[in-house]
Amino acid sequence: MSANQLFLAKLDEAARWAQSSSVWPLTMGLACCAIEMMVIPAPQYDISRIGSEVFRSSPRQADLMIVSGRVSHKMAPIVRRLYEQMAEPKWVISMGACASSGGVFDNYAILQGVDQVIPVDVYVPGCPPTPDGLIYAINLIQQQIRTGGRGGILARA
Amino acid sequence: MSNLPEWIAGAGNRPDLDPTAVLTPEPPEVVARGDDEMVLSMGPQHPSTHGVLQVVLGIDGEEVVRAEPEIGYLHTGIEKTAENLFWNQALTVIDRMDYLGPLTNDFAFCLGVERLLRITDRIPRRAQQIRVMFAELTRITSHCIWLGTHAIDLGAISPFFYAVDLRENILDLIEAASGARMNMTYFRVGGVNGDLPDGWLERLDALIAKFPGRMRDLRDLLQKNPIWTDREIGVGIISAAEAVAWGLTGPALRASGVAYDLRKAYPYSTYDEYEFDVPTRTEGDSYARFLVRLDEMEEAMRIVQQVRKKLDPGPVMVDDPTISLPPKPSIGISMESLIYHFKLVSEGFRVPPGDVYAAVEGPRGEVGYYIVSNGENRPWRVRTRPASFYNLQALKKIAAGNLIADVVVMIGSLDPVFGEVDR
Amino acid sequence: MADRSFQTVSTAVDPTAVRQPIDDVDEIVRTTAGQLLEVLARLKSQGYAQLTDVGGVDYLERSPRFDVVYHLTALPTRASGVADVGRPKRARVLCGVDDGAAVPSAVRLWPNADWPEREVFDLFGITFGDHPDLRRIQMPADWEGHPLRKDYPLRGPARDRTPRPPFANKENVGSRVPPTGEVAERLRQEIFERMRGERSGESEATS
Repeated sequence: MSANQLFLAKLDEAARWAQSSSVWPLTMGLACCAIEMMVIPAPQYDISRIGSEVFRSSPRQADLMIVSGRVSHKMAPIVRRLYEQMAEPKWVISMGACASSGGVFDNYAILQGVDQVIPVDVYVPGCPPTPDGLIYAINLIQQQIRTGGRGGILARA
Repeated sequence: MSNLPEWIAGAGNRPDLDPTAVLTPEPPEVVARGDDEMVLSMGPQHPSTHGVLQVVLGIDGEEVVRAEPEIGYLHTGIEKTAENLFWNQALTVIDRMDYLGPLTNDFAFCLGVERLLRITDRIPRRAQQIRVMFAELTRITSHCIWLGTHAIDLGAISPFFYAVDLRENILDLIEAASGARMNMTYFRVGGVNGDLPDGWLERLDALIAKFPGRMRDLRDLLQKNPIWTDREIGVGIISAAEAVAWGLTGPALRASGVAYDLRKAYPYSTYDEYEFDVPTRTEGDSYARFLVRLDEMEEAMRIVQQVRKKLDPGPVMVDDPTISLPPKPSIGISMESLIYHFKLVSEGFRVPPGDVYAAVEGPRGEVGYYIVSNGENRPWRVRTRPASFYNLQALKKIAAGNLIADVVVMIGSLDPVFGEVDR
Repeated sequence: MADRSFQTVSTAVDPTAVRQPIDDVDEIVRTTAGQLLEVLARLKSQGYAQLTDVGGVDYLERSPRFDVVYHLTALPTRASGVADVGRPKRARVLCGVDDGAAVPSAVRLWPNADWPEREVFDLFGITFGDHPDLRRIQMPADWEGHPLRKDYPLRGPARDRTPRPPFANKENVGSRVPPTGEVAERLRQEIFERMRGERSGESEATS
């Protein structure tokens, strides 16, 4: 392996380490799952230890969109617009049954899964999932960043 | 991602979905009146709007001239979904309306259906007392989240941690009895779903012992804090007459002077046996609403303590095999139990035709259900009287003439929950 | 030990009957769109200071098809303690409306009628005359149809979504419109008999 390739590989690894240790979520709290999402910075669960306690309200500053709650047809274009406003690289967790597949609401008002409007990386089952489940999902995102997938020095999808 | 079966829709799996297409939402029809007014949309994604609320503000500099809340971003069709589910199944979706106080919704719905079934006086005392206890614990958890998020909106982050810690302790208890932390659907038509586990009452005693210290912490952090008082006193004043006219109920109404609490006005489910006060203030501003809710948390714990002492032994479901499931162990040994279980799970029970309005005092006010039955095993119509819907409507009235920052204070002090507003 | 409410006939299901309340409200009035404002104004002058709720119900095959249901509470309008508030009276006003007919808006009597009337319009299609701002509130502005009508499919009009397995059958309309009068009474008795018979394990005559 040439010296250049080795250097870039190590740089990429460093970049991925930095990105995975500071995944900043976007406050996309919609419904009941948002309450469970809100308690993860609290002392009981504390995602500060994995670097994600900084919930950004502005999509420009966030890496991770946690779609927590049921997405109605009225809200869907707004979720899509916020996803587009996020800068690359970005990841999406679909938290809860409603965001993953429509959940208990198979009706006229609810999008049957937020993956109909944005691509999702990790789905978390539950209604609502316990905060432990969400933390595990963030851990999976970190794993995805560190071991291939989007991110690194190229930072493109 | 392209090796997923075709019927799993997903933006990555659907090459026909154009990922670059921008779906622009339609803005509401708001026309600025006058040259000095600018129209600003606050929300629906906003850190301080407590959920998916869009407030379209007409502003003149920093001052709000008009505020028009736009709701419906969380409309879930719960009422229509409930029309297609059995009565006990409908409870699961109705739980998800006021998701900060889920047992409130259950409580009102169960009371209504029990009235239609004419079994209100046959609900066992223990079930009623457990309902009271859990309703009050839910009230405390709901006010904890209100306090935490309201404080964060105003920049105070520490109270959130104290409040959520208290909430976690209570949720541990609720989870031990009902199986879930949130949206637990613990109440059923005819009683509650399962008795309290062993050792639960001792854990409750530990919580009761810890509570006064934690309330003291929460009060010390905020109540006399000059930043807090400056931002809250005199903001969003609603007079008693206005509050009644705008349909406010709950802490918002009591902070304006009218001591209307459904637990005292129309006592239901053994509430008349407990001694508790109804905190009331007359100023009608956000600080008064804040103090009323803090006092309510203490009154709720007072009720919990009294229920703890008076808890009767006995069954927790009404003794009627056509409504309540038989005990699980009996299914293996009794044919009748098996048949009742089968019929109840596959068909549900029938509720006589009629209509009823049943309301309870929730953390946000009067949560009621107007239930219409056509004699079948599914509701014909479940109309919710959503407390937050009416509380939030008052924002149109009180926001004008204040600063944008005050709008944040007002939304927090009215405490809307959008699962209930939008349903 | 006769439960007196056995003799009640529900106004919801039989629009021509005013029944004995089953203890949930103190006064029930059934009216039509033409007399609605008069009835509401009269009740307001009798002390019903708060409009607690406005809701709609679709009875599909009944004429008039819809009911707009108003719940009122007689709260005091000045600062009052618990003893002064006492047990406020409650009233229910049921206004029958046909498909396509309009109902006068109560917004001038109680300002908080604004949003719930918009919601009834949005979800049922009932228009409210002289409402200041009658537009959709829950559904997106360009939505077609009124979702809570009984003939609107639960899952929405046909659109691209995941197919469901054939055994998951959710038909939208309940199989029976609420029965009226004698039929309702008989059905009620039948259900109560069954509940009582199963409970005691033997059939007993209604007392």
